[in-house]
Amino acid sequence: MRMTGPLERVLGAFLADVVAPRYGYDLMKEARLPSGTLYPLLARLERQKLVVSAWDTPQQVGQRPRKYYQLTGEGIRIARLEIAQASSRRHHAPAVAGRPAPGSMG
Amino acid sequence: MKAERQLLRLGDYLVGRACRRLPRDIRAERYREWAGELPVILHDHQIRSAPRRAIRMLAYAADTFRAVALTGGAARRTSPAMTAVLRSLLLAGVALVGWDIWNIVQAPGHPLNYLQLAWGLLLLAYPVSMLARSGSRAGTPIIVTGTLLGVAVNLWEAAQAPGDWVNYGAAALLAFLLFVLWAARRRAHARQA
Repeated sequence: MRMTGPLERVLGAFLADVVAPRYGYDLMKEARLPSGTLYPLLARLERQKLVVSAWDTPQQVGQRPRKYYQLTGEGIRIARLEIAQASSRRHHAPAVAGRPAPGSMG
Repeated sequence: MKAERQLLRLGDYLVGRACRRLPRDIRAERYREWAGELPVILHDHQIRSAPRRAIRMLAYAADTFRAVALTGGAARRTSPAMTAVLRSLLLAGVALVGWDIWNIVQAPGHPLNYLQLAWGLLLLAYPVSMLARSGSRAGTPIIVTGTLLGVAVNLWEAAQAPGDWVNYGAAALLAFLLFVLWAARRRAHARQA
């Protein structure tokens, strides 16, 4: 799995509460991603069987059914691992050398 | 919210248009999923201002076009044979445009040369658009405009040299190609319906 910023944010949103069903719009808000970025990511995670989706039943007449997503057991394991690795990479990344101050190079 | 029904209808329309570009097996489910979020966004109480909710809902619906480009594109990859044909067309288009530019340099006051250059650029645009994005919907308008321009060029040449039947033949052939394209699209639409 190639970890990208948007993917990390989506996995982070899922991991905030692994048992809660997550709707597309809720994930958009939590991960701060537009629909055009979120849905292809969800489709990819579903193809990789890291996420499962299901339809909820509308509570009221005329209400539209919504699709929700949840991490699978394997998805939880991989999401935790990938987020930990991404965080560790960030901690160990060498600091970007700043431009030397004028006159400091002798 | 005032005009809620109209806004939802507009959102549904945008999502529907985006979903029409998806492969048929996932089209209905994606539409159901994305359209299901529209009223939720429109009633999101975390956003206090109604116009902002409306804008967010419409932005959500409009951005599904990008989702389709990213998810649906994989289902419509160009085959290697088609890529070879498109690359040949690209080379032919470059040569044609080069030839047209040469003609304009030689005779800058001749309007037909500019018309031919426009035609050549459209013929070049088709393989570029198809190679840049598989299954691009820009392809059909380019073909139609290019063919119409080709008919115009040939009719112009026929008017300049009325005795030369090749120009009439070329114009008729291009018009026939346009008719075939129209008939094929009509048939495809009827089959989809």
